[in-house]
Amino acid sequence: MVRAAADRTFLPVKNFLEEVGDMMILTGKTISSALRPPYPYGGEFVQQFLFTFRLCWFPLLISTVAFGYAAPGLQAGNFLVLFGALDRLGGFFVLASIREFSPFVCAIVLAGVAGTAITADLGARKIRDELDALQVLGVDPVKNLVVPRFLALMIATGLFNIYALLFGIFGGMVASLTFNAPLGPFFATLLNNASIPDLWGSVIKTTLFGAIIAIVCCYKGMTASGGAEGVGRAVNSAVVIAFLGIFAFNYAFTQVLLATHPEISILK
Amino acid sequence: MSSILDPIKNAISVTGDIVKFCGTVLGQVFGGRVFQFFGEALRQSGVLILGSALVIWSLAFILGLTCGIEGAYFNRSTGAPAFSGVFAAWCDLREIIPYSFGYMLSAKVGTGLVAEIGAMRITDEVDALEVMGISSMTFLCGTRMLAALLVFPFVYLGSIGAGYYASYLAVVQQIGEVSSGGYFLIFWMFQNPTDLLFSVIKALSMAFVIVLVGLYYGYTAGGGPVGVGTATAKSMVLNLVLVHVIGMLGTQLFWGANPRAPIGG
Repeated sequence: MVRAAADRTFLPVKNFLEEVGDMMILTGKTISSALRPPYPYGGEFVQQFLFTFRLCWFPLLISTVAFGYAAPGLQAGNFLVLFGALDRLGGFFVLASIREFSPFVCAIVLAGVAGTAITADLGARKIRDELDALQVLGVDPVKNLVVPRFLALMIATGLFNIYALLFGIFGGMVASLTFNAPLGPFFATLLNNASIPDLWGSVIKTTLFGAIIAIVCCYKGMTASGGAEGVGRAVNSAVVIAFLGIFAFNYAFTQVLLATHPEISILK
Repeated sequence: MSSILDPIKNAISVTGDIVKFCGTVLGQVFGGRVFQFFGEALRQSGVLILGSALVIWSLAFILGLTCGIEGAYFNRSTGAPAFSGVFAAWCDLREIIPYSFGYMLSAKVGTGLVAEIGAMRITDEVDALEVMGISSMTFLCGTRMLAALLVFPFVYLGSIGAGYYASYLAVVQQIGEVSSGGYFLIFWMFQNPTDLLFSVIKALSMAFVIVLVGLYYGYTAGGGPVGVGTATAKSMVLNLVLVHVIGMLGTQLFWGANPRAPIGG
């Protein structure tokens, strides 16, 4: 009786911890086999990289323009209009777009679009026993499948962050224009407030988001099981874990960046 | 030429299919036909509450923390740390919690529906239902839609609570530049029940679109186990775009022309 109750409570916790541990092991394996020669993953890397680009550019464009226009653009713009200080909207966009929302919208879209595609692809190979076949042929699935996806997604997320950032600021421009304000002051305060730590913080953050997405999605794809429902379930749990991981990491990273670089939060 | 136009044609025909499908499902729910399976709808509500509420609230909590620290640092830099409450109130209620709700719903509930119903479709369970004389549209899609209508308003209110609590923790307990009373004075001053209603409308429109998209991709899945995985991934793409578009339209509609702030004029 007690045993059953304890099992019911702690079994999910135990499973969760085991899964996190497995993902950490996969991360370690991926990094070590990425660095150790030989390097057979060049072609797959380029293919995955282009695949990610082809899949993500359009959803990301709509998402960042919509988010940038509405959340920081209209809401903050409305607030600043009350004080007659709409030119400060550009300065606010450094905080809003560069530091927060471009990285996380970028990560959400990459996880939802490229990450789910990776899980569906690897999961399909897993349940058709193709991964086992690879191993029988002496081809290491981690080196040939996970490493190229890991590197491609890391670099693609980092680059897409710049793209998201530009379109986020475009959304801010549109918001500024809807208040009938000239764009000169917007860009003046934007460029005055933008600093190098903001930019590299943003790029490093998204690169690490890419690593989280790639590991979670590859792990879930490679451990898919259970026939017809298995692949769908794998995609489902991959995207949930990736979202929670991204936002938990985002909170820790933002806190560390703001606390260690007090100069970036000074308004100029 | 045709290769350029093909994706567009395809997009238009999928859109038409989705609209038709949504019309049928909503007809089942609001026409009352779904109430013959009310027990199943309640069971689905239970599945939603037990399976999804906790992750939705935890995402709202994490994003509330992020809003809180950004607000606290931003207001410190403007020299008015006591006004962190404004940032937290607007960021939480109007933008971030609806978005976090939409994100987690499309990730957890949307893809979950595709995986579940898609698996039923490719193992011919949906056809088996029809053979037994049960309308699969009503039994599978209608009941899930009704369950979503029953459960999500309350789950969303819970996630607002989680986000508010997290922002309070971040601003008052963690950064600690404003007292609890001072924070709450400003925090509650900059919102009112109408804002809450707008926020609920925004989030629930996201929720219903996500459930409908999930049901559509699940119900029309094909192509074996691999097809279910692909349909799951596709539904996620469409859901993310729709969440952002609805978020933007909601903001434009509710707060675009009127900031609804207790200052200025």
